[in-house]
Amino acid sequence: MEEKLVEFANLLRENGVRVSLAETLDAFSASEVTGLGERDVFRAALRSTMVKRASELPVFEELFDVYFSGLGEIIKQASKAVQDALSMSDQEFQKFLEDVEKMLQKEGKKLSELAKQLLQNNSGALEKRLREAARAAKLKGIERTIEENYFARALARELGLDKIEAEIKELREQLEKMDLGQAMKARMEEYLERRLKALEDIIRRYVRMEREKRDIRQREDQRMNQIAEKSFYYLSEDELKKMQEAVQKLAQRLKNVIAIRRKRAKKGRFDIKRTLRNNLDCGGVPFKLRFERRKKEKPQVVILCDVSDSVRNASRFMLQFVYSLQDLYSRVRSFIFVSDIGEVTEHFRTNDIKDALDVALKGDIINVYAHSNFGFAFRSFVADHIGAINKRTTVIVLGDARNNYNLPHDWCLREIRQRAKRIIWLNPESRNTWGFGDSEMERYAVHCDMVEECRNLNQLYRVVDHLVVR
Amino acid sequence: MFSSIDEVIERFAKNNYIASRRIATVIYLASSLKKPILVEGPAGVGKTDLAKVLAASLGHELIRLQCYEGLDEGKALYEWEYAKQLLYTQILKDKISEVLTGAKGLTEAVDRIAREDEVFFSERFVLPRPLLKAITSEKQSVLLVDEIDKADAEFEAFLLELLSDFQISVPELGTLTAKHIPLVILTSNNAREMSDALKRRCLHLYIDFPDRKQELAIVRLKVPEAADKLAEEVVAVVQSLRKLDLKKTPGISETLDWVKALTLLNVQKLDEELVNETLDTIVKYEGDVRKAQEELKDYVRRVRARRGADATGSSDKDLLN
Repeated sequence: MEEKLVEFANLLRENGVRVSLAETLDAFSASEVTGLGERDVFRAALRSTMVKRASELPVFEELFDVYFSGLGEIIKQASKAVQDALSMSDQEFQKFLEDVEKMLQKEGKKLSELAKQLLQNNSGALEKRLREAARAAKLKGIERTIEENYFARALARELGLDKIEAEIKELREQLEKMDLGQAMKARMEEYLERRLKALEDIIRRYVRMEREKRDIRQREDQRMNQIAEKSFYYLSEDELKKMQEAVQKLAQRLKNVIAIRRKRAKKGRFDIKRTLRNNLDCGGVPFKLRFERRKKEKPQVVILCDVSDSVRNASRFMLQFVYSLQDLYSRVRSFIFVSDIGEVTEHFRTNDIKDALDVALKGDIINVYAHSNFGFAFRSFVADHIGAINKRTTVIVLGDARNNYNLPHDWCLREIRQRAKRIIWLNPESRNTWGFGDSEMERYAVHCDMVEECRNLNQLYRVVDHLVVR
Repeated sequence: MFSSIDEVIERFAKNNYIASRRIATVIYLASSLKKPILVEGPAGVGKTDLAKVLAASLGHELIRLQCYEGLDEGKALYEWEYAKQLLYTQILKDKISEVLTGAKGLTEAVDRIAREDEVFFSERFVLPRPLLKAITSEKQSVLLVDEIDKADAEFEAFLLELLSDFQISVPELGTLTAKHIPLVILTSNNAREMSDALKRRCLHLYIDFPDRKQELAIVRLKVPEAADKLAEEVVAVVQSLRKLDLKKTPGISETLDWVKALTLLNVQKLDEELVNETLDTIVKYEGDVRKAQEELKDYVRRVRARRGADATGSSDKDLLN
């Protein structure tokens, strides 16, 4: 069992569930306490010791089903199928099996262990033997559907299926000579036949199950990697949802880091007044010291986000990120533009995230169906909102810098740069394409302190890490 | 202690808590393995109740620590009783001549004072807070660390020693080890992800909203005086509201509140007007109320249509399906 649990833990890990060694050990002791008898209890024991994130529960459930219902279940089903084929009730079948056992004791002394186990319906022993054979046949290495036949043959060879076939044939010949009733004989014969078929069936299904197990691994692996690396442009509905969670987590991480940093910021001067007041209950003896709080540094952020059609998905995430940022800093002003530029700060402050994004992207504030015109947007910004920027402001521009061959007006950016603390440009387009066609990235980049490609989640993570470190 | 999973279910049931087999298994494991449980899940599914019922069903004292932002060791663990210490200092000052009589030389005098000094940092002056109380308690206790996600990451790290070894270090006194290992339940609404270190030390229990049957059973158990029909309808409505994208999804506690309120008003079954008037018992934001009203209009329409269709048959039973 322990071996099985270790393997299960590995399977979980390969599917992105973090299971530490200590947790595997906990799973051992937990399963010792609960025992293996009751499936749901066993499942709960593993679930509570190995999975610590609600988001990972579905993976666990899926894998548990594949992994633990596995072989035992298949053998049970096969046995049931035999019973059904003979159309016997549970009781009849039980009695019949006893008959079989008697017959085996009399006639089948020469039979191999495996054949006995099979005919006596000893599923526990059968399962063990199948697992041993599977190990010898290196079944765990199976990867593709076309390999199923090969592995089924290898498994049959390891089990000694041809030997069993011969044994059962012999048994049938002996059966002929025995003085059983005609009906009983026919029944026995059919039973032997069906059992042999059932074993073949079990082998086939076992192989397929193992293959599916690997498949889940690969599928999950790929999916996880893909989402983080996949460009914002090509996300499906489902992926969009996952991505939103990820962005929210990212913002949360940022919050944590900033909260810790604020707390660690050095304490200010000794505050006599507050110290005395706080120590009145000790007769004015200063047991608890109080310090003045340092004046908070108030970083300001101004965000200019391109919401044109070409970067729709990307700007969605960026805006979501902006929304979370707004929680974080007291002074964030957010602007969106395509050609016109409009402020969405208030909308983001008062609406919940979904409504806010809808408002921003639906075209209520600016015409989002226009052709991108960065130059015009920058010029309007400088004309109308330049007052938003001072020496403490970090300006973040999100956009692909595709200007439709309009005038770039890069002098606007220079003007902004002169007033601001720094400008960071995040571009959701691949770096190779910057500067080609109508991309004005290179012209704008001159005025920026930092220009980063930001086309998938991993890159966004990196950018944020970079921002936070400073 | 519990001797089996069934016993957990039984004893919890006696305390008006319907524990699923999964929950009971985790409780049983925690009590046999002496491990804390981290309970997660949406608000209002009975996480805190779990601890209360656990304490009640074992007859242990429940020690509760409510977490919040800025909670520090002083508030959670212990504080020195400054005022009392000060008082003793005064006494010492008065008695100092007595203490020093007969002392030969400065060294001996200082030694004597030092001996008295040690009194100040002894357990006599420690004001135990929940965590220390749970550790030093003479009897077995249940420690509830509620909403751990509201506390800062530093506090979480501070808890680790307690959770893995059931001991606490007080710098002036040394390490205090638990006389009886308390059963610990931590709850979290997932406002913040807990650290891996914390999760590794705990069993994890995720409680989700109950399905309709379970919730109905809970309502019947907790508000037995409610009319059957009313209970069914309320549960159906709440279950359908949970499918909406609300800012705050109604929990079991809201369902119970609503049923209680309606029962107090002597209501036998729901109608549109009544729902609109009492909706704010279960939905707590204005935006949510609007969404809920829309949904309920649909709901009532569906029920009406069904009622029309089944007018001849036994319509009452299927009204809610």
